[in-house]
Amino acid sequence: MASEVALKNVDNACETAEEFTRVFYKQVDNSRHLTSKLYLDTGLLVWNGNGINGNDKIQKFLMDLPASNHVLKTLDAQPISENVVSNKLTYLIQACGDVTYQNDDGKKPFQQTFLIVAVDGKWKIASDCFRLQVPYNQS
Amino acid sequence: MPKRGGRIRNWKPNEHFEHDDRAHSNNTRRVSFKSGSYKGKSKFRQWNDASQLLLDGDIDMGASAGYPIRKGVRYQRGRLSSPAPRTAKRKFIAGPLPWYQIVIPYGAKHDKDVILRSLLGFISPEVFIPHYYKINGNTAIFYVDDVKIAEKLYEADRKITMSDGFKLLILVRNSVPNVNIDANMKEKMKLVMAKRYNAATKALDLTKFHADPDLTDIFCALFRPIIMSVAIDIMADNIPDLEALNLNENKIHGMEHMKVLCTKLKNLKILYLGDNRITTLAALEPLKPLPLVELYLKGNPLVSRFNDHDIYVSDVRKKFPKLMRLDGVDLPPAIGFDVSEDLSLPSRQQSFLIDPAGQNLVREFLTQYFAIYDSDSRQPLLEAYHETATMSMAAGYLSNEGRNVPGNKLNAYISNSRNIMRITDRESRRRYLRTGRLQVVSFLSDLPKTNHDLMGFAVDLLVFTPAMIVLTMNGVYRETTSYGNPTRSFHRTFVIIPNATGGFSITNDMLFVSNTTKEQEDKSFSGGEVAPSSSTSAAPVATIAATPSYDENQRMMLNMLCQQTGMNEHWSVNCLQETGWDYQRALFIFNQLQSEGKIPPDAFVK
Repeated sequence: MASEVALKNVDNACETAEEFTRVFYKQVDNSRHLTSKLYLDTGLLVWNGNGINGNDKIQKFLMDLPASNHVLKTLDAQPISENVVSNKLTYLIQACGDVTYQNDDGKKPFQQTFLIVAVDGKWKIASDCFRLQVPYNQS
Repeated sequence: MPKRGGRIRNWKPNEHFEHDDRAHSNNTRRVSFKSGSYKGKSKFRQWNDASQLLLDGDIDMGASAGYPIRKGVRYQRGRLSSPAPRTAKRKFIAGPLPWYQIVIPYGAKHDKDVILRSLLGFISPEVFIPHYYKINGNTAIFYVDDVKIAEKLYEADRKITMSDGFKLLILVRNSVPNVNIDANMKEKMKLVMAKRYNAATKALDLTKFHADPDLTDIFCALFRPIIMSVAIDIMADNIPDLEALNLNENKIHGMEHMKVLCTKLKNLKILYLGDNRITTLAALEPLKPLPLVELYLKGNPLVSRFNDHDIYVSDVRKKFPKLMRLDGVDLPPAIGFDVSEDLSLPSRQQSFLIDPAGQNLVREFLTQYFAIYDSDSRQPLLEAYHETATMSMAAGYLSNEGRNVPGNKLNAYISNSRNIMRITDRESRRRYLRTGRLQVVSFLSDLPKTNHDLMGFAVDLLVFTPAMIVLTMNGVYRETTSYGNPTRSFHRTFVIIPNATGGFSITNDMLFVSNTTKEQEDKSFSGGEVAPSSSTSAAPVATIAATPSYDENQRMMLNMLCQQTGMNEHWSVNCLQETGWDYQRALFIFNQLQSEGKIPPDAFVK
């Protein structure tokens, strides 16, 4: 059975996810010029299948997106076993909700998955996968 | 008879009502008018009500219904105590509506031609077109759409002596003809609009639409919301890519109902609204979403409200920022801010691979995983999960509106949803996180049976290192055994590590389930429906797990557990592996899960 330490880590993953998404979406929606600070220097953003590598490029990419407003509806988080990630505290976070873009009609459902890792007392995004809920069939 | 000389000639509906105590067919309106203080901005709504009134107090309501009218009675103002006939005819007062009904009592005695010739002769050199001339009982009725003509005709009352020696009575009322829209009328409108459409320039000219020679027998005025709505529908159905629309000279005032133009004619860039009755710029608010580059407003009262032409231009531009031409004059380019407001979203890609080398492995892994997942039994997935794997699922409705539609119900998911925005206590958060491969697979086995649209998957390979693989999927599946076989949208992440036997194991599985959007539903399985394969025909999960081999001690424990629990070998093996081949612990876990009802029936199929 899972140890007390592992269970505490589950609690912590959930609480961190709550705090993280609060900060992340506030920045993306209101002060996007600061958002890239949340990513590792070597962080990865995959936005609807477009991969952007590295903090600087992510910043540029985010700035080029239209202004947005995200509303979260569901949130989930799991710790990733420390054996897998060489003893770095790493959490998997899944956030889903609706996003509205400027000059666009109506809200769009989205799903976003983050891999965040604790580096020098700060949570940083190692990878961020954003998908709008639309058909992706090749046609 | 009260003295009427002091009466203000301007149109003041409420004042009119206060004085108007004739028997009236529309008493309720009177009450509503009196109650509120009269504010300018509600003027337009009142216009319609005002049309119910007789503008000219001389007219008895009965007249249009064909009742005979006796002299003297006509002038009775409703005050019985004051029956004195008036000696001088009141001056004509222009009404708020653009149309006037002309009623000629006893007009039926004469030919239409005779009457019209007499009238034309009297008001000469003015000419007019009588619309919708008809006889109702003894009375002749027609309409004119010009206030000047209405006034002339008003003055002609009892001035023309007819061949029978009687003077022609002429009553003028501010009123519009009745409209009855039927299929026949729509067809007529469509033909006239087709005639006026220029396909080369994608332009439709509806100038003075009601006066079109092909529409003389019906009252087809675009200022009436119902007619305009029909016209917009015809445009949307037949020429949805319309770019230019001319609505000059249609007596348009309210525009609220024209809001649909913005959604139905998205390409409309040029709009002419000249010589209408639009009184304020605010009335154009409903059209604001249109990407207009040219607008014509000259000849509307709103233009003369501006003393300063520059302010007029600037205010119009605030409503239509893309405007380049106003009232036939090119506008100087506007100086804006570089806020990049026309940003569009980057185009989407079906897949992202951090390392192209991972492509085959990912494809193979997912094909095998979902072949089992979509089969009758998900039990073999035990091989795909790490002993200490964790799995959680969160579910949410796409929208509040759709959640009560039977096919949309997500009950099978919601009750197990680990949405930590709702599940806030630690104990539950721990419990809803399925831990250990046995728990994970038993949980998965309880979810509705599915068929995934693999061809439609969006797959992102986020991490691909020798130690770890992270991949995320977005896609659609169908529930194969639920009523109506609804489609669901999902988003799922696997964290995968290589295992000791050369295969791969999932350590983290995170699933989100929601309803499909209409668009997703329409396009799902467009790459062809893949027949769900049964677990027996599925390719052996070679990449997932290598063939197991056990030592004698393990073999013995396995047999014992099989016998004692009734579980098949698959589940027994996994139960033992998870507990590090500790027989007592394995049995304990089995009993625990069994008592919680968490072991699926599959586990006992041998």
